[in-house]
Amino acid sequence: MRSGNSFTARLRVEPKPQTVWGVNHAIWFFCMGVGSALYLDRLLFGIEVGAVLGMPLADLLGMLLVAVGGVVLIADLGRPERFFRAFRNVRSSWISPGAIADFLFLGLGGLLVLPSLSLGGGQPLAGLPWAPGSLLERAMATVAAAAALLIIVYPGLVLSFSPSIPLWNTTLIPLQYLGSAFAAAAGLASLLGSPSPATGSVALVAVLATLAITLAHVLNARYQRGAARLGADKLLRGSLALPFVWGSLVLGLLVPSALLALHVGAGLGGGLLALAGALMLVGNFLSKYAVIKAGYYAPLF
Amino acid sequence: MPRWGMVLDLARCIGCYSCTVACHVEHGAPAGIWYAPVYEKEVGTYPQVRRLFLPTLCMHCAEPPCVQACPSGALYQRPDGIVLVDQEVCCGSRACMAACPYGALHFYDGRQAEFEAGLTPFEQRFQGKFQPGTVQKCTLCAHRLDQGILQPACVETCPTECRVFGDLDDPESAPSKLLATRKGFALRPEAGTGPSVRYVL
Repeated sequence: MRSGNSFTARLRVEPKPQTVWGVNHAIWFFCMGVGSALYLDRLLFGIEVGAVLGMPLADLLGMLLVAVGGVVLIADLGRPERFFRAFRNVRSSWISPGAIADFLFLGLGGLLVLPSLSLGGGQPLAGLPWAPGSLLERAMATVAAAAALLIIVYPGLVLSFSPSIPLWNTTLIPLQYLGSAFAAAAGLASLLGSPSPATGSVALVAVLATLAITLAHVLNARYQRGAARLGADKLLRGSLALPFVWGSLVLGLLVPSALLALHVGAGLGGGLLALAGALMLVGNFLSKYAVIKAGYYAPLF
Repeated sequence: MPRWGMVLDLARCIGCYSCTVACHVEHGAPAGIWYAPVYEKEVGTYPQVRRLFLPTLCMHCAEPPCVQACPSGALYQRPDGIVLVDQEVCCGSRACMAACPYGALHFYDGRQAEFEAGLTPFEQRFQGKFQPGTVQKCTLCAHRLDQGILQPACVETCPTECRVFGDLDDPESAPSKLLATRKGFALRPEAGTGPSVRYVL
């Protein structure tokens, strides 16, 4: 039987739910992951979603999402006006290289789309030194792609570097973020009416990989003791079962897998692809939110 | 250069919370923030039940995960092993709080008053000392050590002398002798942080 007041309750030696990270962090992780993967999906797999004033929409939307994630991150700081200090500890903090990658990606991505700008039937910036096909453009795109990759995984690495919270303290989290970002980005592309035949295949591979990693993560935690198991129980049977099991696993991963398999295997219509895309986006966010909220600090002894 | 540390004798702790309060008073810590809490745990089954008390503080780890996780470099380790936070630099990311296995870091949201009626005279005295939106933590009373007072407030106050403070690198120091005679242990050793605070039973 529990006794005592809120002060003494704080002082019991038992696993305690973390309250440091919450919905803002889920928005940050979601936006940055999907935005960066949208850029990489176009670069690596040729998944195009159209153009705005001649500039690739995938890149513009990707940068917008990364910027939104960055604004949410900065707004969540205790001292937002000191955000620039977050670049300092590149040696050991995953947030610092991640923050640098955010700005690098936004800067280079912004520059890279400029030569494609079409105004009044012409391309006024086509003569820039990093015009498409140039060596400089390839170098800049490579650095931007590396930055985008880091942006996808660094939130997961931040979580995994938490010896205090066993549910997060695993490399499966950044891997899960990688797979789910590519899946959700392909899903967003399909929602936007991507004409690329690769969209469905990329989304299917990514969503299956994410499903396998997510199951491995949660089942591994389930068969541990203490704080990790408490977190897994909260995800599978507790207050987070609705967003995690039904929202993320079933609607966000299993149903899209089936829809994408039908689309890729049987060549069924683009409506299925768009539906799968919408579900993957929702599932991606709910997965991040639920895993963050399920974190428990391990007891001191 | 000494390596300051502490050994806590759990057989002596009576759970009086004197250390908790002395620390709070020494630092004028904001409402709800306790740098040196005493945790408790009931063990056994009725009628063989007893209550264990676990006095704590920042472990001032040799490999502090908070320092590694801090993106701004606000958390740092002095040559004598004390881990401090520079609140002028802290950007309030709270990454350190997620990384610390001991719950030793606290986010100050700006609430100074413990009571709804407003600030007590004691709280007024410390108003403005802490910057809202930054992380605060135990300093091992570095300000006292730097002044030559060789005891943190929690150690000085403890009525049972459960807290033994000194230079862990000096084999003749009181904590080293205690560790030599009784088997010491660290909290959460699996975290691999090398705490400068140890326990004996």
